[in-house]
Parts: sequence; structure tokens; C-alpha cells
Amino acid sequence: MKKRILVFIISVVLLAHVAKSQENIPSIKLKAVSGKIIDLRDLVANTKDTVLVVSFWATWCMPCIAELDNINDEFEEQQTLKPFKFYGVAIDDARTTQRVKPFVKGKGWKFDVLMDVNSELKRALNITDVPHVIIFKNGKLVSRHTGYITGDENNLFETIKGL
Amino acid sequence: MKNVMKKVIALLCLTSFCFTPSIYAQITSENINGHFTGSYENITQYYMKDTSIGAFPTNEKIASNGFFKLDYNNGNFSSGIQYESYMPAINGYFAPSVIDANKSKIVNKYFKYSKEHFYIQAGDFYEQFGSGLIYRSYENRQIGINNALEGFKAYVEPTDFMKVKVIYGRTREVFDYSNALTRGIDAEININSLLRIIATEKTPTVSIGGSYVSKFQGDYTGTIENFPTTVNAYATRLDFTSNSISINAEYVDKSKDPHLVNNMSFKKGSAFQVNSSFTKNNFGANISFRSLTNMDFRSNRNQEFASIGPLNFLPSLTKQHDNLTSNLYIYNTQPKGESGIQSDVYYTIKSGTKLGGKYGTTISGNLSYIESLNDSSELLSFGKTKYFKDANLEIKKKWNKKLETTISYQSIFFKAALQSASRPNINATVIAGGMIYKFKPKKSLRIKLEHLSVANDQGNWASALSEFSFSSPYAFFASDLYNYGDTKDHYYNIGTSVTKQSTRFSLAFGKQRAGLFCVGGVCRFVPAAFGFTASLTTTFSN
Repeated sequence: MKKRILVFIISVVLLAHVAKSQENIPSIKLKAVSGKIIDLRDLVANTKDTVLVVSFWATWCMPCIAELDNINDEFEEQQTLKPFKFYGVAIDDARTTQRVKPFVKGKGWKFDVLMDVNSELKRALNITDVPHVIIFKNGKLVSRHTGYITGDENNLFETIKGL
Repeated sequence: MKNVMKKVIALLCLTSFCFTPSIYAQITSENINGHFTGSYENITQYYMKDTSIGAFPTNEKIASNGFFKLDYNNGNFSSGIQYESYMPAINGYFAPSVIDANKSKIVNKYFKYSKEHFYIQAGDFYEQFGSGLIYRSYENRQIGINNALEGFKAYVEPTDFMKVKVIYGRTREVFDYSNALTRGIDAEININSLLRIIATEKTPTVSIGGSYVSKFQGDYTGTIENFPTTVNAYATRLDFTSNSISINAEYVDKSKDPHLVNNMSFKKGSAFQVNSSFTKNNFGANISFRSLTNMDFRSNRNQEFASIGPLNFLPSLTKQHDNLTSNLYIYNTQPKGESGIQSDVYYTIKSGTKLGGKYGTTISGNLSYIESLNDSSELLSFGKTKYFKDANLEIKKKWNKKLETTISYQSIFFKAALQSASRPNINATVIAGGMIYKFKPKKSLRIKLEHLSVANDQGNWASALSEFSFSSPYAFFASDLYNYGDTKDHYYNIGTSVTKQSTRFSLAFGKQRAGLFCVGGVCRFVPAAFGFTASLTTTFSN
């Protein structure tokens, strides 16, 4: 009985914290293909009320590449409908890190890509599988989606427009 | 189970009491509030008998791996736990030496305090120095590796041009910890900041770094005099990045490190690698060279399995293919000694041109070539034994908004005796073709056909895969990998998946081929299996 009461009290304390809490974005600095060093917390803070999309992928992940190719094809058109910031985060480790920059440039993708070489940001955001897309707005994580099947990019664009 | 519950409650209590209402009031005044985030992953398999492929289930026909992770962040403070449950572990997941494959435990817990240019973390953590040649701790649930270090790490930026990391702890070995201590320091200096070079878009950046890692395992009771219970490793690295050219090089030197896998060799270890890339206008290319000798660096000298307690990371210098047939012949790094090169080329023919069409055409090529060393201690040499070669080319074209096609060709040489002494040298060719057709924005069909031809081993293979998504979030797939050479075995699979935001559930039924499954230089043997596989992944936050 004592144990149940203890569990109940702890649960109430935890829920109280949960109810009052806001998003707390991890502060992790990553090197971008462009050469910049970018901290996700600063990035989220600086984009303010503009929608920020962060898409986790890898050069060995075919669904990820299909998703980013399809987003890239409509990137400029969608920006005219509703402007948004977009970053890829490559979780390639030392086996394939050196491939990321030539791959991105060779593809001609119109967005910058960050390199999470030991999955530090992926782990901090509790991402299990790639592809995984996270949307931030006004300093908060407002939406996330895992996996990709053809057509999911339309859902992403609809979500962006609705925010 | 009671013990586990007690530990979870105790850990969360600690987290909660750090933020009692009085402190909470202070925190909210700074507009910083707590935040919970976590994830859960489960893979469950049900095994059935199939004598044709050698699938013989044990008495326990159901196996399940579960991973639960919970993190709490509040301003500069964060903490978390990871609970793992194997009831029992899916077949082949753990090395045969792990007798404890039916167990659940909180395996990771940490507390971290961070400021702008500083953090300190106590508990279990992951870290990488340089490219990982000298030290890397990481988690890979697919392969069953988690070599987190339990102890503390600190990070500090003492000046605007320098970063320093310090680690100290014991390496995780499945449910326990190694009896060896690992300690290390890594420093990186940004030359641009040091020399106060004003950065513009075109200014190249240069940084240099150095690492030191030391392992102490004092339990040696053998008769060898002057047995090295401490192993020291040093690394230096250089990184140059400009708009279009990147070069990074790293050299590692390791002292005498006798262990079970290198037959208690007293040889020193060393490794050298250089990666370079060039990019311009829809074109990207990279070339890598790596040579290493006696670089198997592990926490426990008595541990024979590479997945348990490694200290460094030696990934294969090869391309990771997604073809079913290409993955029949996978090369794994030979830590005793090898030299290899790898190169990739990517080019997109611009849209609006005759060859590029409306959406552009992407061409990618890859070559990897790996040989033995001329002499096992002669770094940078190429020997007489060819280990692996892979030359491949892929062309991908999107014809219109509805249709996209891919064709690829691959030529493989593999010295299969590296895996099993009786196996022959393999010369194989893979041809693959695929298409995706969008009927409607949310209705699509994907088809892929492959053929692998090889004169020896098990003979030729063919495979077919189709995937149909009729309305996001639902998808169905069916595939078959067929050996029409010697064995005539079919490895078919059918399945479905449902995805809702950050939750994904999938269910598949079919056959799994016995063989080595390798990720990042670590392999595990996956036994043949026939039956159902269900998996669930979800991520949550408040």
C-alpha cells in the first residue's frame, strides 16, 4: 500500500511538472556542409515564428533520399506558398561522413545539411529510425513524423501551410 | 522486476526533487521549464520450423527486444535513463558467450549540467574522438552494440579557438561493465580563430586536433614478464575545409596491446587515413585512403567478440548497398592489417537539358578496393592478397511527377575465405532496376528487380520487391530472394506497416537467410529464421 501511495505522489509531482513545462531544445553544435557551426537551440530561437523543418537522414537510407529528393523538387514552389526554413541532418558515422558533402552537392539540394557524426542530436531528440522529420515554430517542437512512403512530402507541405 | 521499478522510481525521484516547488518558482522566473522526452522500440519474433533453410526454433518460440529511453531537460540540467528488456533476446542478437540473454535492466543513466562553453556529465555516455579510429562509444541496436562508458566526461571551450574533452570510466559489456578503466583526452584547435582570420563565405577553415586514450586492465595473472596492463594510444588529425575542397587526415599510434583476438601479439598498432572531397555545380567527388595494422582496440583483453566492449571504430571502407543481392557478399574490416581506397562520384545532369529532362538525372559511381598489407607491420603498404573490390554505377531519372526509374550495375570481388577458410574467391555481378509510380499524390507502387550472377559459391540469385502504399500511413510490401543456382531456396517476406506521426508499427512474415550481418565494422551471425516479426517504434514528449 505504501508503495502505491509513493508511486501516486511521484506521478502527481511529475505530471505537475509536465503540465507546466514547455519545449526545451537540446543545445548541440553541429558542423554543416556549408562549413558553418550551427546549434539547434540557437537555430530554433532565431527562426522565431517562421516554420523550421529538420529532417534526419543518411546517405545509406534510400527512403530518406527519396523524401529529400521529392522535397527538393518542390522546394522553391512551396517557399512561394509559405516560406519556411529547412535543414537536413545526416546521421552518417565515420564510415560514410566523407560522402555527405559530395552527395549533397552532387544532388544539387537547395538546403543546408548538418552532420551528426556520433548521433548526439539524434539521441537527444529521441529519434529511433530515419527518416524522421521534426517541425519547430515559436521555439517549440510542434510536429514530428517517422518513416517515409511516397506522397508523405505532400503531408509535410500541408502541415507547414497549416502552421 | 521489483528492483527495476524501484530504480526507475529512485531515478525519477532524484530528477523531481531537483525541481521542488520552491526551486521551480525560481526557475520559472527565468522562463525555463522542464521537459520530458522519450522513445520506445520493440522487436518481437515468432519462430517456426523450416528445414529447407535450416531454421530450427528453440523451445522458446517467441523472442522480444525492448528499449525504453526517457530524458528530462530543464534549462542547463538534463538527466535520463535507458531500460532494456530481452525476453529472451531475438535469435543471434547476442554473442554466444552471453548466457544472460533473458534479462531486463536499466542499462544507462546519466546526469548532465551544461553552460554555453562547458558541460559535465556523470553516468553512462557516448563519445567520439576524431573519426573514431582511436575512440568511439556508441549504440547500434540493429547489431546489438552498446559500448557506452560509465563514469564522467567533461567538455570545455577555454578560449574561442579551443575545445577540450575528457572521459574516464568503464565500458559497458552487455548488462555489465568491463573490469578495465578507460581514460582519454581530446583537444581541437581552430586555426582561423587562433590567428583571428576574418571569416567570409570563401575563407577556408583549418583545424588541428590530438587525442590520447589509455586503457588499464590490471587483472593479468599469466606468466609473461612485463605484460602491458596499460595500453596507450595517441592520435593527431588535420582538417581543411573550403567551399569546394575538403581534406582531413588522421594518424593513430597504439602501444603493445596483447589480447585474445590478436593471439597475445606484442606488436604495436597504427592507422592512417585521409579523406578528401571536391564539389562544384551539381558535381561531388570524394576519395579516401586508409591503412591500418593491429588496430583491434578493446576494453577487455579476454573478450573475443567484436561487438562486446570495443574502444575504437573501424568501419569498412566500402559502400553500404540497399540491394538484397549485393548484401550477400559483405566485406568487414580486417583489424590485423589492410590498406584500401574508396571513391565516390555524384553528378546531376541539370533539369531543362536534353539528358536531364524536367527533373534532372542523377548519376552516382563508387569504387572500393582493399588489399592485405605487404607485411603485417608495414603501414601504408599494399600486399599481394586482394580482399575486396566493388565497382558500381547507378543512374536515377525522374521522368515526370508520376514516374521515377533507377538502374544499377555492380561488379564484386570478395575473398570469402576471410569469413570461412573453405570458401572460394567470389567474382559476382549484380544488375538491378527499379521504378516508383505515383497513381495519385498518396497512392504509389514501387518495384525493384535484381539479379546476381556468380560462377561458384551457391550460384546465381534473383530477387523481386514490390511496395504499395494506397494511402499514407499504410504500406504493404512483398519480396523474394531466390537462389536458383544450387540451393533453390526462396527467402520470401510479406508485410505491412502503419505510421502515425512518430509512431510506426510493422508486421512481416517470411524467411531470413543465415549469414553475417555487419554494420560499421562489427558483424554478428544471424541464424536462419522463419516466422513473424513485429516491430513498434514511438517517440514522445510533453
